[in-house]
Amino acid sequence: MEDSLSAQSMKKDIYTEEFLINMGPQHPSTHGVLSLECRLDGEIVMDCTPHLGYLHRSMEKIAENRTYTQFIPFTDRLDYVASINNNLGYCMTVEKLLKMEVPERAQYIRVIMAELNRIASHLIGIGAFAQDLGAFATPLFYGFRDREKILEIFDEICGNRLTYNYIRIGGVQSDFPEGLDKKINEFIKYMKLKIDDYDQLLTNNAILLARSKNIGCLSKEVAINYSITGPNLRASGIRRDIRKDAPYLVYDRFEFDVPLGANGDAWDRYKVRVEEIRQSLRIVEQAIHALPPGNPTSKANRIHKPQAGEVYVRTENPRGELGFYIVSDGSATPYRLKIRGPSFSNLAVLPELVKGLKIADIICILGSLDIVLGEIDR
Amino acid sequence: MINLIKNFITGSISLLKGLLVTLKNIFAPTTTIQYPTQKLKMTERYRGLVDLRRDKCISCLQCVKICPTACLALTSKLTEEKKKALESFTYNMELCCFCGLCQQVCPTSAIYMNKIYEVTTYDRKKLYINLLDPEKYVAWTSAVPK
Repeated sequence: MEDSLSAQSMKKDIYTEEFLINMGPQHPSTHGVLSLECRLDGEIVMDCTPHLGYLHRSMEKIAENRTYTQFIPFTDRLDYVASINNNLGYCMTVEKLLKMEVPERAQYIRVIMAELNRIASHLIGIGAFAQDLGAFATPLFYGFRDREKILEIFDEICGNRLTYNYIRIGGVQSDFPEGLDKKINEFIKYMKLKIDDYDQLLTNNAILLARSKNIGCLSKEVAINYSITGPNLRASGIRRDIRKDAPYLVYDRFEFDVPLGANGDAWDRYKVRVEEIRQSLRIVEQAIHALPPGNPTSKANRIHKPQAGEVYVRTENPRGELGFYIVSDGSATPYRLKIRGPSFSNLAVLPELVKGLKIADIICILGSLDIVLGEIDR
Repeated sequence: MINLIKNFITGSISLLKGLLVTLKNIFAPTTTIQYPTQKLKMTERYRGLVDLRRDKCISCLQCVKICPTACLALTSKLTEEKKKALESFTYNMELCCFCGLCQQVCPTSAIYMNKIYEVTTYDRKKLYINLLDPEKYVAWTSAVPK
């Protein structure tokens, strides 16, 4: 009796209050310049508000002053981890506006490049997630090592390693150099072995499970209400992949599965990415064997003047649904260009997920959402 | 207490499994190179700095028109044989985004991108390059692997 009384009086004596801290904008775990304003009660997160805009470069306005071809290099800088996919989304939108046909070989090459870039992007996602959980450097550098093989292939095809500027309106920049099919096949063989390594090192690791299982559970309703797309949505158990639901390019000719998660927790989001690497390898393997002959290149120096009108095209980016909306007034430059970045809505759900959890879980959840700030701020 | 021991054992087992992977990688061939002493050869299509084959240029202005960041500028005059001759051709490396559109649109492949990739300097003026100067990249050629 006396003990509980003294405990109560003790509690009264200690003065407690909520604590407001800023995580970022310069923080290694925020994956870029993102600032999270967290309201804490001890170690428990009461509320979290993301502040954006540190990387704003006014991409949409820049587009209004560039010709359709000139804007392609700028799309590289949106989601700089998966540049080819951005190029692809933009060029497909302009092609739809121009009602342009793309050679079949170019379509196959686009699929191969986009899927390879998806693997590269997921490798960074996995590595950075493990790094955020405290597996310092090792998984991240394994990811970078395997990504390097893809970058070497890209370097040979388009001459650059990060901002590829490869896909052109009506085709691609250049055909595959000779002997590249062999190199890609070698990479597929290499990567298939390495994914098993990742499984052994990370997927079923007890520490990773303890840190990420049942953390940041994203329910189906919340995911749909926040318009989450991509691996984060599929981790919640919703089968939605634009490559399957509304196939673009030649995706309907390939066999691949859509990996799904069960609970929508951080581990599921990680696991879906690992499985997606496997599926992407399957697509690349099928595409490289079915590569038709022909000339996939298109001339860059043509000035495109589409008819007045508007068009919206969505593609499956590694992070979700990337949409480009272009309004044309018949001139050589877009009248308005709107980019729907998947990372933006994926980040928007963060305050919903972290409420009531510990502060260390913010980093885990943010890592599992796999955002790229270049795309959020544009 | 029993849970604690259980957790300790499962944790140790998965730690050992992970260590097995890292052990395997210790004996794998190295993937890195010792950079300043060892250098990679750039690929055939590598996009380095913009360079010019002066005799091939026909002053058609295609590269200037396509450049998304307007980093190229050229002027030309008509010669007595009514051909365009280059007067000046400047390249602002500060603005260049290395997209390679200029080399793709050039009808005579006069403008191309070379293999120089170590492009840092303390002097901003060095980034404004006169492409007609034959010795423009001499100071940076040490960056090209021998």
